[in-house]
Amino acid sequence: MPDEGGSLIHVRIDAEPLFSVGPLTVTNSMVGAVVTSLILLLVAWYVTRRSTLVPSRLQTAVEFPIEWIGNIVEGTGGTRWRSFAPLVISIFLFVLFANWLGLLPGVGTIGLFEQEHGEQVLVPFVRSASADLNFTLGLAIVSFFAFIGFGVKANGVKGYLKHTFVANPAYMTPIMTPIHLISELSRLISLSMRLFGNVFAGEVLLATMLALVPLIVPIAFLGLELVFGFVQALVFALLTMTYVILAIAENEQHGTAELEDSTHDHPGDEPDRHAAPQGTAA
Amino acid sequence: MTRTPDEQPRDKGSGKRPVVPTPNWGLALDLGVRLGLSVVIGLAFGLIVDNWLHTNPAFTLIGIVLGVAAAFYTIWDVARNAMRR
Repeated sequence: MPDEGGSLIHVRIDAEPLFSVGPLTVTNSMVGAVVTSLILLLVAWYVTRRSTLVPSRLQTAVEFPIEWIGNIVEGTGGTRWRSFAPLVISIFLFVLFANWLGLLPGVGTIGLFEQEHGEQVLVPFVRSASADLNFTLGLAIVSFFAFIGFGVKANGVKGYLKHTFVANPAYMTPIMTPIHLISELSRLISLSMRLFGNVFAGEVLLATMLALVPLIVPIAFLGLELVFGFVQALVFALLTMTYVILAIAENEQHGTAELEDSTHDHPGDEPDRHAAPQGTAA
Repeated sequence: MTRTPDEQPRDKGSGKRPVVPTPNWGLALDLGVRLGLSVVIGLAFGLIVDNWLHTNPAFTLIGIVLGVAAAFYTIWDVARNAMRR
């Protein structure tokens, strides 16, 4: 048995390696990401197999977050909302379940004891994927390239590069280009650091409270972490949506729209619905 | 409580569902973090270049100035985009 309490508070900032498959080292946060994906895939597979026009309780529970985020994207995303709504909804669900996975019994608490610096520490088999900077940075990179991709799609490669690297007036380019690049890079780091920081801090807080007061008190903190996990997933998804909208809006502002209006593929969609400026930014 | 599309009351005239308003706080949260990060990125860039070229502290100072300028640019950019829409 480990020493009392000490090993419970032990939380490493980096994910612990479990085993290697050739050159690939599998960490417990990678296992967490795979478990999250499997949960989402299995639920989606089970529900879509039995989906009916009059939804069951399970179908309603699964459809609700999708429709809710879909409504937000539709209300804010302009005429091209259908092209990026799946991305935003997927990010929301994936981050939400990755955040909440860390709150399940056994996640972060079942593992093997190993010697580290002469101390016996628990290496859990599964760790919340969002508590690993590699995961959040990877997701932020996906989001980053998504809004760059939508910007390129809207402006064309030449137009996008011109907008990014050439200032107006042109003689300000040597000063404005590095400033613009720093500003763009801050989006990427801000997205990844915020999610990682919040989820990791939550895990440390829970581990500490469990070690100090094992009964009753941690329930309140578990409730808080449920809320924080939801809020962080929502923030990540909505910021991705905002960045994509801004990338497309730059195109409309410069009057060089080339992006095919995806609503043309959906004759049932109302053309005048987004004609007036939408209420708020994300 | 947000309603699902099927639950939302339709406009009597057009029969369309109303547009769902989107919360603004996400952008506010992001702006706060990006202000600090811009300065840190500029500083890190300056330190790395100075370490590489042995020009300490020239690029560190330039990096800090660029980072602060990027922070202000970020505010201006977010405000401009918000007002445009």
